[in-house]
Amino acid sequence: MGWEEKQVRGYPEFVQTAQRYHGRPIFALFCGDKDAEGKSWCPDCVTAEPVVRKELHNMPDESVFIYCLVGDRAYWKDPNNEFRKNLKLTGVPTLLKYGTPQKLVEEECFKADLVRMLFTED
Amino acid sequence: QEAAKYDKKVMVLDFVTPTPLGNSWGLGGTCVNVGCIPKKLMHQAALLGQALQDSCKFGWQFTEEVKHNWMTMTESVQNYIGSLNWGYRVALREKKVTYENAYGEFVGPHTVKATNKRGVEKLYTAERFLIATGERPRYLGIPGDKEYCISSDDLFSLPYCPGKTLVVGASYVALECAGFLVGLGLDVTVMVRSILLRGFDQDMANKIGEYMEEHGIKFIREFVPIKVEQIEEGTPGRLKVIAKSTNGNQIIEGEYNTVLIAIGRDSCTRNIGLDKVGVKINEKTGKIPVNDEEQTNVPYIYAVGDILQDKLELTPVAIQAGRLLVQRLYAGATTKCDYVNVPTTVFTPLEYGACGYSEEAAVEKFGEENIEVYHSHFWPLEWTVPSRDNNKCYAKIICNIQDNERVIGFHVLGPNAGEVTQGFAAAIKCGMTKEQLDSTIGIHPVCAEV
Repeated sequence: MGWEEKQVRGYPEFVQTAQRYHGRPIFALFCGDKDAEGKSWCPDCVTAEPVVRKELHNMPDESVFIYCLVGDRAYWKDPNNEFRKNLKLTGVPTLLKYGTPQKLVEEECFKADLVRMLFTED
Repeated sequence: QEAAKYDKKVMVLDFVTPTPLGNSWGLGGTCVNVGCIPKKLMHQAALLGQALQDSCKFGWQFTEEVKHNWMTMTESVQNYIGSLNWGYRVALREKKVTYENAYGEFVGPHTVKATNKRGVEKLYTAERFLIATGERPRYLGIPGDKEYCISSDDLFSLPYCPGKTLVVGASYVALECAGFLVGLGLDVTVMVRSILLRGFDQDMANKIGEYMEEHGIKFIREFVPIKVEQIEEGTPGRLKVIAKSTNGNQIIEGEYNTVLIAIGRDSCTRNIGLDKVGVKINEKTGKIPVNDEEQTNVPYIYAVGDILQDKLELTPVAIQAGRLLVQRLYAGATTKCDYVNVPTTVFTPLEYGACGYSEEAAVEKFGEENIEVYHSHFWPLEWTVPSRDNNKCYAKIICNIQDNERVIGFHVLGPNAGEVTQGFAAAIKCGMTKEQLDSTIGIHPVCAEV
């Protein structure tokens, strides 16, 4: 079947989508919002996104890739935002395998072999 | 990781042969997965239970009865371990160390065969090899042991609460596990063949045993199990244990939900092809003798950790030995690992920290007339209000009279023993004498001031 991508924005939409696909491997990439020209306020996210997208074909069959925009810079900087509180995210970009402790944070997302390792780990 | 720092091409072969019950785990070795880390976390869970009880006397009021949920604790612990496993994978990758989840064994000079869990074999050659395969729990060798009993390899990820438990053994593994299980509210019995904590200061070992007995752990002394039968399947099921006395013919029976075997650990050196490359091992114990530079009798093969003969089986010792070895090999260093005066702590309900000689070892080495022992009971301030025992915590130091009363042994029994001992270990390494100890003003009010 291969894999599919879902694009969401904000915490409630993320949780809803993750719950809908419960039972399938779920990978999520969290990035800062994009402006009208499609550029994110988070420079590391701009670097990481193409690296991650190139490795998506390594995800196991039936996987769901959730591309999640977390919000604007001010929202992200707030230490009490839902992503920090509930998902324990510490930085963007974060690439994680939902429901496991496996994740890559910030510059780790620039490394294709680490991304591949996350997608193919048992 | 250390070798990769010096631009060496490095590969790690890590593989966990599943337990008799099918249990396995990720990268990190015993300490991380089925040793120190989960043990200390579960010990902490038990301490928190005790703290809840003490809290009433300090004014905290709660109306609901407080219960413990084994699954919640185990999930949290395993989650943390998972993050450590992942962290190591990322670290190895970033440092360009090749990692294979495969079982390594020597097949010829400078050559190993790696077999993964699907049975696929690959051959690798290298200039040098480091063996750090560690140990696995020993079983009793009686009917029913592998089918129905668990070991520490299974306990920390057990998917159901163990219930009424029989712990077989008197090692620190046995006593630590018995300790936190009873702290979580379970019915625990410990079956001991002879003495507690062989190899440790026996005066302290007996005090630990006494404390555990007074706090709800039942001891059956001088018996060994001869058969384990299953009465009923389940999670947990019901098991019948038949045991025989070690002096006489008395037979006893008991029923338990879980039987945890903790009678010792055996080195994983028998099935890794050491004979194919000529590495000598102690046939009886399986341990590998090495020189003081961790080199085996085969010059390009080294070993560190629990598998070494006559060395302490502690994680920090293995790590230090490994790092220094690599620095000597690739960075021109000359420092060798110092195996003397290594501090340790046993995380029984009353924690025991020690560094240096036990009283027996000191007497044997220096003669009773040449050592002086200073000791004291103490009552932690935190224990006064909740009326906890006032004569159980204890500290003693052993001094060598012939050498300026140098402190050669340090033993403490009380809360946070590990934290207390670490500082004193550094002082002992510097050669602290009794006079220097006496002239150090104490911090008040803490246990360590005694």
